[in-house]
Amino acid sequence: MATETDPTFEGDAGLWRRKLAGQAFESLLVASTLVGVLALVALFVVIGNDAFGPSAAEPAWFLLYFGTLVAPISVYTLLVRRDEAASSINGLSFMTVFGSLIGSAVVFAVVDAVRPHDVAIYLVFGSLFPAIVFAYARNRESHYTGPALPLSVLVGLVTARALYAPVNSVIAIVADWIMFLVVVTVPVAAGLGLFVTWRWSRRYGVVTAVAVLAAALATAGGAITQGIDPAVWVVLVSGVVGPVAVVSLDTIQRRDSGRYGLLGPWILVGGIVAGASLERQLGIEGLDAWLTPTLLLNSWSSFRPEQAGIYPQLVGSILVVGTMAFLAFPVGVGAAIYLEEYAPSTGWRGRLATALDVNISNLAGVPSVVYGLLGLSLFQNFFGIAPWLPPALGLRPALVIAAAVTLGLLILPIVIVSSQEALRSVPDELRQGSYGLGASRWQTIRNVVLPEAVPGILTGMILALGRAIGETAPLVIIGVATTTYSAPEGVFGSAAALPLQIFASAANSIPAYRTGVVAAASVVLLVTMLVMNSTAILIRNRYENN
Amino acid sequence: MSDRQTTTLQRDGVAVTKERLYRLLLAGCAATTLAVTSGIIIALLGRTVAFFGEVSVIAYLTGTEWSPVINGTFGVLPLISGTLVITAVSAAIALPVGLGIAIYLSEYAAPKVRSVLKPTLEILAAIPTVVYGYFALVYVTPFLDGVLPLDLGTFNALSAGIVVGLVIIPMVSSISEDAISSVPDSLRNAAYGLGSTKFDVSTKVVVPAATSGIVSSYVLALSRAIGETMIVVIAAGLSPKMPFFPDVLRNLTSSVQTITSGIVQVAGAENASGVLLDAMFALGITLFVLTLTMNILAEAVRRRYREEYN
Repeated sequence: MATETDPTFEGDAGLWRRKLAGQAFESLLVASTLVGVLALVALFVVIGNDAFGPSAAEPAWFLLYFGTLVAPISVYTLLVRRDEAASSINGLSFMTVFGSLIGSAVVFAVVDAVRPHDVAIYLVFGSLFPAIVFAYARNRESHYTGPALPLSVLVGLVTARALYAPVNSVIAIVADWIMFLVVVTVPVAAGLGLFVTWRWSRRYGVVTAVAVLAAALATAGGAITQGIDPAVWVVLVSGVVGPVAVVSLDTIQRRDSGRYGLLGPWILVGGIVAGASLERQLGIEGLDAWLTPTLLLNSWSSFRPEQAGIYPQLVGSILVVGTMAFLAFPVGVGAAIYLEEYAPSTGWRGRLATALDVNISNLAGVPSVVYGLLGLSLFQNFFGIAPWLPPALGLRPALVIAAAVTLGLLILPIVIVSSQEALRSVPDELRQGSYGLGASRWQTIRNVVLPEAVPGILTGMILALGRAIGETAPLVIIGVATTTYSAPEGVFGSAAALPLQIFASAANSIPAYRTGVVAAASVVLLVTMLVMNSTAILIRNRYENN
Repeated sequence: MSDRQTTTLQRDGVAVTKERLYRLLLAGCAATTLAVTSGIIIALLGRTVAFFGEVSVIAYLTGTEWSPVINGTFGVLPLISGTLVITAVSAAIALPVGLGIAIYLSEYAAPKVRSVLKPTLEILAAIPTVVYGYFALVYVTPFLDGVLPLDLGTFNALSAGIVVGLVIIPMVSSISEDAISSVPDSLRNAAYGLGSTKFDVSTKVVVPAATSGIVSSYVLALSRAIGETMIVVIAAGLSPKMPFFPDVLRNLTSSVQTITSGIVQVAGAENASGVLLDAMFALGITLFVLTLTMNILAEAVRRRYREEYN
């Protein structure tokens, strides 16, 4: 600028130009931010519009749901937001009701697909031995307790495998719902009993456990006399009603203010139920939705879009991602603990640790197709020549375990990096304090460092799960079938996954699939992702505030 | 322990062994990551060597036709051309928009606005890419076809590239923002003291000072765009093409195939075996080397800027 020597004497025109340039620049920045936000909104709106079809609904429909759902929830939210006690109870209540509902649905779907009897055999044997070890360790402290617990689980699973055939032939005639009682009700009753014992007294704890068992049995009896399959109801009563009742009663007894915060989920559920029943009674034309119970509970149909469902794909995704979490999370957290807590910073071991850090950040940038190629050659070459594994492994279509291992390798860097960050943020004073009390390195990690780092580690795990559940390309490459009609039968069954069905049907020649079924399936995937991300953000915020 | 008093000074043998065991187990977990890298390299290299036994390296690198199933020709150039087209379109969207967002968030936005916008924009990167591909094919392409005076095919590079651009926006914006906000405030204050406006400070001081971080974010984002798979497979079609030269727009309106979609197509082919499967691994190593080089480059650039101010 010519006026550089003394900018204050710049003429009006120059000042104007600079002001205008600044304004223009700022609006350019706002515009680019808007591009990002609007693209996101557009994606959700167009896909949501096709999945729910709100244009078919009459104005009366919107009025009805405004009255039963939107207005009560708004009033309630305004009230709760002002009251800190109520707001914390509200969060707890939502978490209990919807957490237990989703958890029970997931457990039922997976156990049902895998076969309840098998799950029961492995669960009983897998928990029997650690329970014995645990009972022994309560009376006698020993160096061997720590290593013995995981080892006893392993021994239990191996025993279950060995005794599988005779045990199975004995219990095969037992009805499914009794197996669900063993797999779901008994652990839930025990867990709630322990919780109540801890919060109140042993007597109340026993009463709670017995009440849960009795309620489940009564439900089963009622369902049988009505001629309905009791399995779902047993799971729902013990998995949802039990926890919700315990948490609600506990809150009512313990808290003296803001108890109305418990009502949140019920206002939501009640509003939907009231809206739906009034809609039917008054004969109001509602949504033309593709995202219906049919979609969630039916099997896929290639020719009749209104019959098509994604139940097998959902169960497949849950099973694949669950197996992946079981395999990859311990390894990821273990690697992070080694790199942060053990690895020295000097010497050849220090250089090795640096090399591992660089390697991990490079792995995070490897395209997902390449992981697919790794999985493919792993399961064709390595497992193909291992005779002790089921022979189908390595041949097409790919199995749940193959998909889980492939995705596990893919998310390993994400888990390691986020766990490392969480461990790094634990203040050193805590470690020094623990060492000062005479604790060893492992004791310090287990009792001091890990509990502090859990929220951060959990956040990373949830984000990794969100990434894995939407991952498609590696699964296509290892040969998972893109269209599936039945859920996997277990970890060694053929894999299925929701994103693959979206991939297979995105260009379907029948328009009802393209803009209906696939849109609804995409909404399911998007909602899962949003719920996971917001849970991760909530955990992170809470953690940062503390 | 009843004998706790005596063990405080000297841990007994079992405790020491236990500590060693845990350390070994954890080190094993860390070593897994090294195994993954070597696994990738061994898997890719082994099959690639087999592939180059059948097809010459020169034919692969300079061939202008990719038709592995029908003609048995394995020229990688059309796939590289397709990858470049998609990457160029996505770069045209994501690089300016991402930088704009980064400057806005770190220099202009109020803390409250920032705390809402940041996680919102992160969602762009968290949406499953298969949903993006579906979005591009079923919604973006018909929309662009109606708005633009172009004759867009059902499968085209333009909408796929634009949507890939959306995916990589958060990568550009978050890494650039880190770089921009790590510029020391003393530089900003000095510029303000000299009579600069906020516009001057942003464009003439802060952004130049953060250049290496911004460049690093650009390189990483482009590497991500090159490796992007499902959007391209679903929305850009599967027809490998050499670039149309004088008629540049045709590159955008027609269907293309990238390296990644080439891999997926071979994987999905019926009875893929022998040289066809090996070709998939040759493409894999091409992609791996390309993205790894870019990631290392980005890291090297970023490390330089760290040294400047700390």
